[in-house]
Amino acid sequence: MPVHKVGYRKWDGEKTPQWNRWWIITETGFRIAFQSAWVRRILLVCWLPVLYWGLALFVLEQALDRNAFATSGSQVVSGEAAEAVNQGMAIAMNDQLIDTMSDELEMLPDVDKLVAVMKSRDAGEIRHSIWSWLLMTFFRYPQGTAILFLVGFIAPGLISQDVRSRAFLLYFSRPIGRLEYILGKIFIPTVFLILITALPAICLFFFGVTLSPDISVLNSTWDIPFKILAASVCVILPTVSIALMLSSITQESRFATFAWFAVWALGHSAWFAIMITQAVRLGEPPTSRAVLDSEIVQEWSIVSLYNNLSNVQSWIFGFQDFSEIWPSLFVLTAITVVSLIILYRGVSAPMNV
Amino acid sequence: MQPLISLSQITKNYRDMRALNEIDVTIQPGVTGLLGPNGAGKSTLIKVVLGLIKITSGSGTVLGHRLGQDGRSIRDKIGYMPEDDCYIPGMTGIEVVQFAAALSGLPVIEGLRRAHEILDFCGMKQERYRKIETYSTGMRQKIKFAAAIVHDPEFLIFDEPTSGLDPEERENLLNRIRILADESDKSVLISTHILPDVQSICDHAVIIAAGKVVLNESLDVLNRPSAPTIALRIDSKNEDGFIDQLSADGLSVSRNDDLLWQVTGNDEKMTDKIWNAAKATGTSIHSMQPAKNDLESIFISAVQESNNASS
Repeated sequence: MPVHKVGYRKWDGEKTPQWNRWWIITETGFRIAFQSAWVRRILLVCWLPVLYWGLALFVLEQALDRNAFATSGSQVVSGEAAEAVNQGMAIAMNDQLIDTMSDELEMLPDVDKLVAVMKSRDAGEIRHSIWSWLLMTFFRYPQGTAILFLVGFIAPGLISQDVRSRAFLLYFSRPIGRLEYILGKIFIPTVFLILITALPAICLFFFGVTLSPDISVLNSTWDIPFKILAASVCVILPTVSIALMLSSITQESRFATFAWFAVWALGHSAWFAIMITQAVRLGEPPTSRAVLDSEIVQEWSIVSLYNNLSNVQSWIFGFQDFSEIWPSLFVLTAITVVSLIILYRGVSAPMNV
Repeated sequence: MQPLISLSQITKNYRDMRALNEIDVTIQPGVTGLLGPNGAGKSTLIKVVLGLIKITSGSGTVLGHRLGQDGRSIRDKIGYMPEDDCYIPGMTGIEVVQFAAALSGLPVIEGLRRAHEILDFCGMKQERYRKIETYSTGMRQKIKFAAAIVHDPEFLIFDEPTSGLDPEERENLLNRIRILADESDKSVLISTHILPDVQSICDHAVIIAAGKVVLNESLDVLNRPSAPTIALRIDSKNEDGFIDQLSADGLSVSRNDDLLWQVTGNDEKMTDKIWNAAKATGTSIHSMQPAKNDLESIFISAVQESNNASS
């Protein structure tokens, strides 16, 4: 047929395999979401904390490095270099710093456990613990908040808009199943969350490796990238499931947005109210740590989604035992499973009208 | 020849409501019109054919694939243009068609090339680069049409394809459907309320009412009057005399809504008798052609019969 003929032509090319069709949904959804200037701004803001945490790693490594070399200068020839470095690092973690940390940073999570490790004077363990702790706080504070806003901006419209604009017919009248549709949709916010959690955390890790005296630090820190991935999965799965579940039960994305923020705010507010009540009950102006460590506050922390995520991340980074966090892990697993079931039913519902 | 669709005793209930009631229908390749009043079950039937909803009971095949088990294979071979607007906000027209192609398995670059080719076929110019939210109804219809055919399916289902189109666009769309059916051997199922659309492009009609198929026949048969009939347009000062003459010759004469005279009779010399009567009464015959049954009256009577039977 001539090229200039504007008629209908047959197509008999080879089709792409079925198993990766869901990725087309992700790719297209990501592209559409990325068109929003607000999403790009939020992404930019989400990367700003990397500078602060990078600075913390830089300062830490500089301190360790300076002490290590100062100590090792006379001993390196005698073949005791490794021991010297260890000693130097241990000196860096001097008592004054340890005391300051335990006094001034008591509000921060798991400082007591970090302090205990630092007192062990084992260089490899200290570096591992500080890096882990920094990355855990990176996940918990800046990125924890960023996730709330980024997912709240992207996810509520992903399914509700398809239902409102009847776009689900565009998907389901083709060889696309509901599971593929859900998988494709789940990966849209997932990719964004990877961009603001796993990716910057991995960058921070390699930044730390670059700043350290030599590549041998990998011997003591090799497991951190895996912990970063596990922490990312732990935060992504429940949050994305909840957000998409909310999106699937309404045609109005603003309702889903409202519900998303309400889920976080109500749970955390309830826990905060319990905490204040406990502070009042303790009488004398109690220390923050005393309130946080009290039994009732610990028990009820599972009402807050944020606390549950924090607890499990704390376990992943090695600061809490499984026996301490299993209720949080159970709650997150239950929330994820229930959300996915509701999501599946929500996606099936528009067909039945 | 393998039937396009073969359904046996298909029932679909939505909770207490029975949308399809033991439907038995076989549709052969070609262009078929699916007619029925609102709520008759047309959309449900289409969803069943596409494998989008589970049937309550019954069995069937679509393009040789078993209903309810091979939904993915069925949808792989079908192009569906829904009645409702269905678009993803934020995408341009070309992106929507390319996306539809990719979902159907066309590689990315090939899908883009094909999308342009199909939009050219649909008469879509530079507006294909505009966001779809800014489109008029006609443009959205074109995009839906293009998305339905971009992967070159062998069977096309169009749900109200001409609704909201101006007469020119409507004619263009029907022409495109004709091209697909005639030149590319596509089988087409058109669900519509617009009977002239069915009359103009379909060679088969299925009428559905109250969840049951009440008529399934080729248009040739449906259009054919029960007795040989000739439609006349005449100009005469002696109209009554002309009618009387024909009646005296043993022919039955009536007048339809289009002011055409319908002359019916089982007489082989009916045409000669008409000419003779015209000559005798000084009547000018402006047109004379074999009469066709009116699809609208067929539709109304079929639906009414169904209503009477169910009540």
